[in-house]
Amino acid sequence: MEGSAVVALSAAIAIGLAVIGGTFGQSKAAAAALEGIARNPEAQGKIFTPMILAMALIESLVILGFVIAFVLQGKI
Amino acid sequence: MKYIVLLLGIVGSSQAFAAGGFTWLSGISHKLNLPEHTVTFVFVSILFTIAGLVYRAKSKTVEASVIPSPKVGFRNIWESIGEFIWTLSKQTMGESQAKTYFPLMVFYFMFIFMNNLIGLIPGFLPPTENFNTGFALGIFIFVYYNWEGIKAQGLIGHLKHFAGPIIFMAPLIFVLEIISHAMRPLTLGLRIRGNMLGDHTVLAIFSDLVPYIIPLPFYCLGIFVCFMQAFVFTLLSMIYISMAVETHDHEDHAH
Repeated sequence: MEGSAVVALSAAIAIGLAVIGGTFGQSKAAAAALEGIARNPEAQGKIFTPMILAMALIESLVILGFVIAFVLQGKI
Repeated sequence: MKYIVLLLGIVGSSQAFAAGGFTWLSGISHKLNLPEHTVTFVFVSILFTIAGLVYRAKSKTVEASVIPSPKVGFRNIWESIGEFIWTLSKQTMGESQAKTYFPLMVFYFMFIFMNNLIGLIPGFLPPTENFNTGFALGIFIFVYYNWEGIKAQGLIGHLKHFAGPIIFMAPLIFVLEIISHAMRPLTLGLRIRGNMLGDHTVLAIFSDLVPYIIPLPFYCLGIFVCFMQAFVFTLLSMIYISMAVETHDHEDHAH
């Protein structure tokens, strides 16, 4: 009982911390891209692809956290 | 076509109720002793091949392939997807490379997109929800871009990519680069798997809570996630390939 409670808590903490970090990173990327588009609306097409790329790279670490949480969830 | 698929599903999954969760193809997967995602993957491949053959038949003559069809239909949708990927590959890889790698990339985009979308039909599990599918697609890209890199600049030239610009830092950078390259198929597979699984789970939970109306926004979100994941996978593959094959002369406009 004790062990499974610890595992459940650690799964929640793993995904929670990963999401906090990922959200900060993605919000910075999105804010910079939106500011760029607001300053120069014609550059929207050029900004869009690198923004998606940066977001995907940030997101991949969050997904690694999600995988850890998922593996832990199976052990409860 | 519709009726054949429906009939096959009903016949094939008549014994699936005993197994618990209902899916259209679980009868076939029980019978053949294959995992569910493999059967769905093959099913999507068959649909994809049929769609390709239909497209081929519709644009057989020169006039038919040049003149676009007057109303929104099968051909227009496929051509718009192709044009979208063509523009993207021209942006990321440049005109000459885009001509070489466009067929593979558009195949990847359409195939992953269809694989993702089939999960939104009730009673189907998306094959990309399983890690093995995404990893297989990713490892093919990994092998392919290394192969193309070796072909474009020789084995030594390709290995030089890993070493970095400064010669006495090379041993350290080499190890780091090898690790980061080896992680690429893994992250490609994990990204698509995690996103599809998360999206599908949210959809399942909300349609369990309230079967009508409430899941609609999540369906829209699901379509968006399906598109985005196929797009990201294709974009990253393009960038990996173009990074591997580009020569050192025009490194200044690397992405």
